[in-house]
Amino acid sequence: MAMETKFAPYLLEILWNRLLALAEEQAQVLMRTAFSTIVREAGDLSAAIFDRRGRMVAQARTGTPGHVNTMARGMRFFLEEFPIDTLEPGDVLLSNDPYKLAGQLNDMCLVTPAFWKGRCIGFFASCCHMVDVGGVGLTADAHNVFEEGLQVPFCKFLVRGQENRDVVRFIRVNVRTPNEVIGDLYAQVAAGEVGARRLTQMLEEFDFADIEELADEIVNRSENAVRAAVAAFPEGTFRYACDNDGFEHPLRIEVSITRQGETLVVDFDGTAASVERGINVPLAYTTAYTCYAVKCIVAPDVPNNEGSFLPFIVRAPRGSLLNPVHPAPTAARHIVGHFLPSVVFGALEKALPEKVPADSAAGLWVTQLSGFAGKEQPFAFAFFSCGGMGARREKDGLSVTSFPSGIQNVSTEIIESSSPVVMRQRELRPDSGGAGRYRGGLGQVIRFEVRSHGPCVLSAMYDRVRFAPRGIHGGASGAAGLVLGKDGRELPSKGRITIQSGEQVTLRLPGGGGLGDPCERAREAIEADVREGYLTEAESKRIYG
Amino acid sequence: MIFIGTDIGGTFTDLFAIELETGRSMTAKVLTDHEDPTQSVSEGIRQMVESGQLKPEAVARVLHGTTLVTNAVIQRRGAKAALLVTEGFRDAIEIGTEHRFDLYDLDIEKPRPVIPRHLRRPVRERILAGGIVELPLDRAQAETEVRALLAEGVQSIAVCLLHAFRNPAHEIELRELIRSLAPGLHVSLSSEVAPEIREYERASTTALNAYVAPVVGPYLRDLGEQLAGRGIRGALLIMQSNGGTAVAETASQFPVRLLESGPAAGAIGAAYIARATDRPKVLFFDMGGTTAKAFIVDDGRPIVARKLEVAQVYRFKHGSGLPVQVPAVDMIEIGAGGGSIAHIDRLGLLKVGPQSAESNPGPACYGLGGKLPTVTDADVVLGYIGTDTFLSGKMRLDGAAARRAIAEHLAQPLGLSIEEAAWGVHQVVNENMAAAARVHLLERGRTPGDYSMVAFGGAGPTHAYGVARALRLRELVVPWQAGVGSAFGMLCAPVAFDMARSHTVAVDQAPWAEIAAMLDAMVRDCRGKVAKAGVPEGEIVATRSADLRFRGQGHEVQVDLEGLQWPDVDAAEVLRRFRAEYERLNAVKGPDAPVEFITWRASARGPVPQLPLRQGSAGAATAPRSTRRVYFRETQGFTDTLVLPAGSLAVGEALAGPALIELGDATITVGPGASAHLREDGLVLITLPS
Repeated sequence: MAMETKFAPYLLEILWNRLLALAEEQAQVLMRTAFSTIVREAGDLSAAIFDRRGRMVAQARTGTPGHVNTMARGMRFFLEEFPIDTLEPGDVLLSNDPYKLAGQLNDMCLVTPAFWKGRCIGFFASCCHMVDVGGVGLTADAHNVFEEGLQVPFCKFLVRGQENRDVVRFIRVNVRTPNEVIGDLYAQVAAGEVGARRLTQMLEEFDFADIEELADEIVNRSENAVRAAVAAFPEGTFRYACDNDGFEHPLRIEVSITRQGETLVVDFDGTAASVERGINVPLAYTTAYTCYAVKCIVAPDVPNNEGSFLPFIVRAPRGSLLNPVHPAPTAARHIVGHFLPSVVFGALEKALPEKVPADSAAGLWVTQLSGFAGKEQPFAFAFFSCGGMGARREKDGLSVTSFPSGIQNVSTEIIESSSPVVMRQRELRPDSGGAGRYRGGLGQVIRFEVRSHGPCVLSAMYDRVRFAPRGIHGGASGAAGLVLGKDGRELPSKGRITIQSGEQVTLRLPGGGGLGDPCERAREAIEADVREGYLTEAESKRIYG
Repeated sequence: MIFIGTDIGGTFTDLFAIELETGRSMTAKVLTDHEDPTQSVSEGIRQMVESGQLKPEAVARVLHGTTLVTNAVIQRRGAKAALLVTEGFRDAIEIGTEHRFDLYDLDIEKPRPVIPRHLRRPVRERILAGGIVELPLDRAQAETEVRALLAEGVQSIAVCLLHAFRNPAHEIELRELIRSLAPGLHVSLSSEVAPEIREYERASTTALNAYVAPVVGPYLRDLGEQLAGRGIRGALLIMQSNGGTAVAETASQFPVRLLESGPAAGAIGAAYIARATDRPKVLFFDMGGTTAKAFIVDDGRPIVARKLEVAQVYRFKHGSGLPVQVPAVDMIEIGAGGGSIAHIDRLGLLKVGPQSAESNPGPACYGLGGKLPTVTDADVVLGYIGTDTFLSGKMRLDGAAARRAIAEHLAQPLGLSIEEAAWGVHQVVNENMAAAARVHLLERGRTPGDYSMVAFGGAGPTHAYGVARALRLRELVVPWQAGVGSAFGMLCAPVAFDMARSHTVAVDQAPWAEIAAMLDAMVRDCRGKVAKAGVPEGEIVATRSADLRFRGQGHEVQVDLEGLQWPDVDAAEVLRRFRAEYERLNAVKGPDAPVEFITWRASARGPVPQLPLRQGSAGAATAPRSTRRVYFRETQGFTDTLVLPAGSLAVGEALAGPALIELGDATITVGPGASAHLREDGLVLITLPS
């Protein structure tokens, strides 16, 4: 276990924790100073520290794999555009390139170079979901990226500490809520600034010139730990294929996982071609959720940084749903992106049957609303909701829990205080968890109306309406999702729908799949489910007799 | 006149009494009786009385802190409670935030709500944002639900309706309805327990209040009777999480406010020391057997947070517990105590905690069967803790066992010497605590270098030197009472009560007359609760404050509203105060955006008791000074170090480090380059090398 190293193991532990604390502080400043509810209440952001070579060495706990993992791989594009030696103190870089970064124009990635003794010694980067980026608004039904909004190429947001005025003006005129968007970008600037200041204090305290050697230790140890875990993975190629709801029609996703020495290769060869709707997933985002899913099963306890990605190679055919080419639309890439862990788990289950849970509701349900709150008073508002997670090896699945993303919901009282939305119901959805020795987590029922001035537009981004979360080892599927409008008519699950002021919309979110034969479920567990109303008496009789 | 502080802990119940006229103090430590903790208090008092030190009739005040509420929640030993909610929102306390507090561990468990689903019932009513009644309460339907719950045998009912923090009418109506059907039943209204926006957190708090109320009421009645039985007729005051005390009646009404009152008491003791030594900025460090905590004490008062989290499923994992919206002394806690176990993780790093050997089997050096190396074992190997003087010599430690544990589990696998491995453990624990404290300070806009440290707890004085050095602090203060810190701290606590109410209005459009009336009513309420403890009206100080934010942001900043002209308030002055605090907290200037009030706060407190502190007459005063080999990084290894038993240090005597001062239940480390001196009031002041 002893390793040749510049740092004693206890010193390394101390320094590593310092870096993690810096990233955490960066994220906290961001959440405290951000404007959009999505950042501040839902935690839809990421924050991390990078070394001079653009390698991510520490990330904040807050946030989603989609953001942090794409940022980790995307830093190199900033450095290609702005080589490190051309950067000056006070420069701040910005882009929302959906193909190279977080896969969606709303996600702005901002990078603050940190300087110490006149030399750039690393970067603080953050990625935040903006309330609006112009275009048709956040929706799954745009036909190309141009319709989806403003593309911000790799550029400088601040130049030597001064606002890059033209860039800011371009953004301002292209978005519906300029004050919130610019406010959030400045929250990212503040967070990066605080992080950079603390990092230089740390270097001063320990008398280091930079963090390169420390980063080597962190990256190498993480990589070695993941490779050691990968080495225990069985030989052979493990395949799985399934259908996603798609937009107009179902889309096939195929995957194969092969171990090559201490590397795992995940290949999506055979997957459907990209579509003219915004559900395509850029390869960076495909990679983010694929690596996340594999790591959850293979090496969940290894810290997430550059080193923990290296043992995974992710491929998808160019031009496919999982590797679309510009200008394919991508705004709702999270729908299929969040679905990928289900696909990856399908293949992993064959390799490691004891380690994989049943399918989860996956895709975060995003409800984007826009219209007028009053005469001449436009509003745009979004809320996120989750279904149930799949049953685990020795436990029921978690009800109404964000997976694979890591966001939080927004409270009804906050929603109603900051928008014309009135919630009518937000409750667990009985009978939605797939039966099994261990039951899937329950989905939820959300019923709401919008007291808008005139009709308003609901942009739906909902998934698993056609294909319910699958049970495993004999467990039953969870309930599929359902979207209902006035008089119980079914509404489309993706795209823009006009709804009248006061018209009630009901969302029934999917439940997780079950695990194991339902006949083996403990009697007391079934009785408790019925007593608590997780399971209706009728369903209990039908399933468990 | 005598004040007694009584703190019921997990293992021991500590008592600390002081005679105000003479400053004479006495302590007692008895094993906690978990079946009936009031017995432990009674037993401690009996011991004090029988030793002839305590005259019951002279006791004017008994301060009481208890982990009863925390334990009832953790062990799920509360009452059968029910929750009435707005129809359609029965599951808010179960759905929570939908968040996973660990992104990679798919096996996590979420905290189970204390009120199960079948006891959560809907009532037909609806109040909209802003407090407008959309649907009046359907009394007939509500009555049916309440009757059903009573038939179920519930002992307590919580009520949490949407937007009730803004308009409590329906909640009050429900309470009247419940009282008409079940006159004695405890009812907790969210509009009284935690009237703040966000239904999940408010419902969670109200449900917890209802869950523990039927346990706490009888407990406090019993305690009162036990004290009366010992001939004590002084006032019984209960320690609350905000660092103030309240009469038993108030405590029984809002028992959720007793959560974490033990740590709060310690912080109040530290605040007392901050005032006694005229230190405006104090970082209070408290380290025991399983955890270490840090608190900020500014201008003699601990910072109070607006919420806390209890009963974490995974220790120290934020988000794995139940949220509680009550004012609580703000602290950061990590799993680093004397019993914390050191290990090597799969990346080859030396990690300490959060697993603890606790008191059973305990550290390897206890010789009680523990084989794994702990922080205490490292401290023994390094010489910080004496094997013969631990707990005043009542417990001999096995130094060889400590060395074996460190050698086998740490030194050999890492290829280090035993001393170096032990030093690694000591250093990692100090650094972990320093890192946590640093983040705690920085997140609150404080600069670590401005602070002096005050240290309590069994392990606190040993590690304070290292933690303070890692934070680059200049000064450290350890009181003679470091081992019974919480019981001592309680005696320093004022009677106090706080209230909050959410009501969103823009600063430039605030209806000041209406707000003045609301705040006046809140202040009256708080004053009334303080006056109940016998505090004369003229000695009660009330303060008003509010939480403000830039419209659109989610994080509020608390702003002091004292010194304003009511009701003709100068909004510009409020904005100025808000912007100054915002900049301090976030280290950046605020944006050019409208500002709004979210929550209004009132607080009333009585005077802080003046304690005539002086150096305790420690029993080991006659033991001679000695020398032992102690490991310091500054001296590159072991060095001869002076060891002073408690009492052998004369008041005013200056002492140069390296040295150790053994208090009996704790040991103070005075590192090389530091100097210490003992003040007349029993405080040891240590100046750290820069």
